[in-house]
Amino acid sequence: MSAIKIEFAVEVRKDDSNYADTLRKALENMGRLEEIDLEKGRVIIQTQRPWSEVHNLIESTGHKAVLSGFGGQSAVAVINTTGSVVDRTPVQGVVRFTTITNNAPGMVVDGVVDGLNPGTHGLYVHESGDISRGCASVGGTYNPRDSPPTERPAGDLGQIQADADGRATFRFVASVLEVWDIIGRAVVITDKSKISSDQDPKNQGDERIACGIIARSAGILQNFKRICACDGINLWDERNKPAAGKGRSQKL
Amino acid sequence: MLRLLAITLALCASMCAAAQTRATPMEAIAYVIGPVQEDNSQVKGNVTFIQNDCGQNVHVRILLTGLKEGKHGFHIHEKGDLTNGCTSMGAHYNPQKVDHGGPDHEVRHVGDLGNVAVNSTGILDVTITDSVLSLTGKHTIIGRGVVVHEDEDDLGLGNHTDSKKTGNAGGRVACGVIGVK
Repeated sequence: MSAIKIEFAVEVRKDDSNYADTLRKALENMGRLEEIDLEKGRVIIQTQRPWSEVHNLIESTGHKAVLSGFGGQSAVAVINTTGSVVDRTPVQGVVRFTTITNNAPGMVVDGVVDGLNPGTHGLYVHESGDISRGCASVGGTYNPRDSPPTERPAGDLGQIQADADGRATFRFVASVLEVWDIIGRAVVITDKSKISSDQDPKNQGDERIACGIIARSAGILQNFKRICACDGINLWDERNKPAAGKGRSQKL
Repeated sequence: MLRLLAITLALCASMCAAAQTRATPMEAIAYVIGPVQEDNSQVKGNVTFIQNDCGQNVHVRILLTGLKEGKHGFHIHEKGDLTNGCTSMGAHYNPQKVDHGGPDHEVRHVGDLGNVAVNSTGILDVTITDSVLSLTGKHTIIGRGVVVHEDEDDLGLGNHTDSKKTGNAGGRVACGVIGVK
């Protein structure tokens, strides 16, 4: 799997000259550190590891960090039970999609979803990004090659496992889909243990428990704002809220 | 109004059918929602986009409730990224890197749709036809963001330093990602 460039905004005092070393040490096994700019609070790393892991390591140094850029062509879906950005839904997550390299087919799928029942869940790309009626209106599983119901459609990304705390962390390569092709469509997470009444054969009849639209995301060095213009919530405070359903802050 | 639109579309579609391969209009939708305000109001609704075969105009139907009376800047932003709420949607979608303007100005961002005017009911139902937006091709707006601003967009004609960049339309009261319909 090829390395991907990831940018973090890190909350750090400009005069904390030792911090760069601390950070280098913390991230030494994670990949190639391209830049540590304490002035701007910016860290850029080339890594093959899930961004959540790098993120945890940066925060383990006692500083808050926010993922602010993702290399290559990238897309992001904010996942919850309604598909739109609303407060306090029981399931909350972020799934990112990035190209591998300019030549290799396929994309890297990287995500963290909280608030799931422990166990196996299905991860799908659905054909539509219409969330006007929540996860019900995003259409069927994306099936660009018209695969028969007996085969897995391209939009079937396989299974993810939620741990005892209800968190699923995953990173894998989906070789039959491209980032540009899925932008504007939706990610759907299903509960494998529940079978819904409207047996959609493409979906193996699983109940849709959460979804989100796959949107164009900010690339490296494209996120400059540190304060939300809408309600003044500081980026650091916003990030400090847990990603899980329980204590999630108002996001807008 | 809608019927007229439907007839126009149907007519255009049938005219193009002979020359083009696709006879169905392309559609997109953004479910737009904002945070609950102190007075318990909340902006929400649908913005739908229809583009027929001819590929020229995009018809944008804006159905929103909960807006404050007055004019609000209404733009397509570059990203649909909601990871930091409406903030992470970036700037106005501006692939040509030109100055901000009004929707019928020669020089404008692709995403500059001007203002929507809301009356005292707070309910908005308006259809805009725009010849610069597109749902297909290199400058597609699919996967980007719709943002409703707090204040009026001065269409690049104001004295404020941000006028030529953002129209000085203030904060973002609601937003949504443009999805394939």
